[in-house]
Amino acid sequence: MTSLNKVERRKSVAERSPSVSYTPDVIPHLAGLEKPQAHSLLLDECDVLIMGTGLVESILAASLSWQGVDVLHIDNKTCYGDSNSTLTIEQIKSWCQEVNGGKIQHFEDAQVYVSGELSLPTSKYKSKDYGIDLTPKVMFAQSDLLSLLVKSRVYKYLEFQSLSNFHIFENDSFAAKFSNPTSKEEIFTDQSLSLVTKRYLMKFLKFVLQDNNDEDKRQVLTENAKVPIEEFLKKKFNLEKSQINELVYSIGLATKESSKTPEALARIRRYLTSFNVYGNFPVLVSKYGGPGEISQGFCRSAAVGGSTYKLNTTLVDYDPSQKVAKFSDKSSVRINEKLVVSPTQIPKFLQTSYNEITEALPMKNINRLVVVVKKDCKEWMSNSESSAVVVFPPHSLPSDNSKGIQALVQNGGSGVCPDGHSIWYLTSFEQDKAKAKLDLQSALDKMEAAILRESSNNLDDVLGEEDFVISERGTPVVVNSVKLGKSLQNFVPKEKLEIICKLGYVQQTYVANDLSNVLNPTKDNNVTLRKPKDCGEIIFTNMPSAEISYDGIVSECKTLYSSITGADDDFFDVDFEDEDDTFDGAGFHQQPQTVSTIKANALTDDENAIASSDEDDHNEPFGANEMEL
Amino acid sequence: MASSTDTTRFAQFKLVLLGESAVGKSSIVHRFVKNTFDNFRESTIGAAFLTQTITLPESKTTIKFEIWDTAGQERYKSLAPMYYRNAHAALCVYDITNPSSFTKAQDWIKELKKQAPEGIVICLVGNKLDLSEERQVDEQEVLQYVQELNHQENNVLWAECSAKSGEGVLDIFNKIGRALPVEEVINGASSRARQVGSRKPGVDLARQAHSPQNSGCC
Repeated sequence: MTSLNKVERRKSVAERSPSVSYTPDVIPHLAGLEKPQAHSLLLDECDVLIMGTGLVESILAASLSWQGVDVLHIDNKTCYGDSNSTLTIEQIKSWCQEVNGGKIQHFEDAQVYVSGELSLPTSKYKSKDYGIDLTPKVMFAQSDLLSLLVKSRVYKYLEFQSLSNFHIFENDSFAAKFSNPTSKEEIFTDQSLSLVTKRYLMKFLKFVLQDNNDEDKRQVLTENAKVPIEEFLKKKFNLEKSQINELVYSIGLATKESSKTPEALARIRRYLTSFNVYGNFPVLVSKYGGPGEISQGFCRSAAVGGSTYKLNTTLVDYDPSQKVAKFSDKSSVRINEKLVVSPTQIPKFLQTSYNEITEALPMKNINRLVVVVKKDCKEWMSNSESSAVVVFPPHSLPSDNSKGIQALVQNGGSGVCPDGHSIWYLTSFEQDKAKAKLDLQSALDKMEAAILRESSNNLDDVLGEEDFVISERGTPVVVNSVKLGKSLQNFVPKEKLEIICKLGYVQQTYVANDLSNVLNPTKDNNVTLRKPKDCGEIIFTNMPSAEISYDGIVSECKTLYSSITGADDDFFDVDFEDEDDTFDGAGFHQQPQTVSTIKANALTDDENAIASSDEDDHNEPFGANEMEL
Repeated sequence: MASSTDTTRFAQFKLVLLGESAVGKSSIVHRFVKNTFDNFRESTIGAAFLTQTITLPESKTTIKFEIWDTAGQERYKSLAPMYYRNAHAALCVYDITNPSSFTKAQDWIKELKKQAPEGIVICLVGNKLDLSEERQVDEQEVLQYVQELNHQENNVLWAECSAKSGEGVLDIFNKIGRALPVEEVINGASSRARQVGSRKPGVDLARQAHSPQNSGCC
């Protein structure tokens, strides 16, 4: 089997454009600019065909393009993003129809409600004012995708905002015990904590932040490799359930009980090392949409690097002997090397191969509930922010959820909906789909009651007699909030939450919840490394993981990149910053040559570190080395 | 967007290019940038977008254009929503020797109405003025079209240029500069010129608050 190693490829962009200062004596003629290269207009061959513009596929397209690989990137939809799309409400409606018609593999059971208000001609709000992510995510400030965004300059196409408020639901109440801390130490300055508890927490913090190569720490991790995190925190650091829940589910964003200690610690460490990188917050969100928006950014980068884009196009036929692909627009293109296929875009003739490959792999369900409400939910957010995270640990809800539920809340300030509205993305990790629905609804009820209470303007109104009536369902709704305290537990809101759109669906994936088969992929556990018997040029990608952060994405891209080029040592081996330096004198790209230049070099080193050593490194996806223990 | 002195003001705007393939979208921009910088390098490799500044002497304003090229994504109707987002101005380019490119430019203006923010300044640009002997797009016809558009409360400018000779190129950007809502942007009222959502300061990923412990290695 041939692979596109460096020698066979045309010179990479980095090689073609010397980074040394270069000033042509004569201004170059505009040939080639007035007439676009015939090559791109008469596309008759390419090195790699990528089907699906999801986040992983888009990063792959950009990485290949920048190393001189000719990429044809298509999508069977009319919009970018594939399973990671950011969709308008109209697009959501037709997406649901397609899902329920069985047309989008690995998505099922889509239910949607859209308020009639939206279709009124007089409505203030339009479908396109909303951007709903199919896979909502937050980005840790210290993460490999963030490094890649900076290095590839794709971040320049995007806008990022901080997210510092993490709320946890326990004992029938919401608490944000560590919102707005200004330092790692302040994360635990809850006044209600005893001095002794604080001391134990500090001790634990110190332990987590210690270098993973420290011998003592290594030993502790090895000894506790199979110990559930709850037990570890209780025995080793005398912590109580409330702090354990915070550490494991809110800071660690764990999805289930009894995670193994090393993995859970890696998750906690991920939060702490991300804190104060850009400011007093651990994660960022991209404006106007999450993975759907970032996909578009990498696709644009790929296009600048020479990739050809065709949306609304499907592969109709592929002849492996001639290597000719035929498309729905009647064009045919010779594919010199590989075909990369997203699971939602598999042509009929490849379905059997895909089924064979995935037969033995364990599949996970990701249950989602997305609700667009007429409330900005600013009560849950920092003053300058537009997003918050809410977590429900296992067994915290009336439905007695056995798995955790995570919710991302974003309001108009993050550009995903009009001002005064917000989108609530709830995700359940329960595998029983019927139970997951109950859990999600239960969590939604709690959030609804909490926001109605907290956003009530007038306390006297809240305390009015008429508020203490029995609800429509005949039972008092028991809610609480950190702001109003327990005295109002029987509060039944007069106001009902106005819902613009409510969407439920189930997504399937072969990626493990702990990302283990993405961080350490093998032929036995990862779709990408399992080649179809009859057609060695086909590579399948994974469905998005259930992970709320972007962790694992870059690892997946590198696995794909290696499968195509033979190695990942030149993955995004580009140094745009050098070119900037050249232009700086001329005032061309007036980028301040301060932090970004310094950082770019540091990142290059980090990338090498990831590729070549197993040293502890902040930019590694969480748990990469801890989980090997 | 603070002004550096009391006398000169500064504002930045996003400008997008549209038009059929081969009408010379890129070359207009390259000519615009090149005319001012004689050591311009042809390749835009790696650049997220091109930037160029102009100064409007009458209002003592320096305007920085952040110019987004289509990077070929228009070819198969594959421009992303990101491309239009927060665009303040658009060049809709056609080739005066190619009538079908003028039809396409009209389609792009319709597309802008659907996709772009309200109030975007559109400049319809006829390129390849150096080939005026081969002109096939009648100036009167274009003028009439633009007037009709502007009757419907649009803000469409029109100009012709030659990217090859440079004729008229700078005028286009000066024209656009004068039509842009400079006051609003400078006074921080940019939200009206932009799309949904209130403006909150974002996080610049190139500027870390504190260097991470591990980055001292270089």
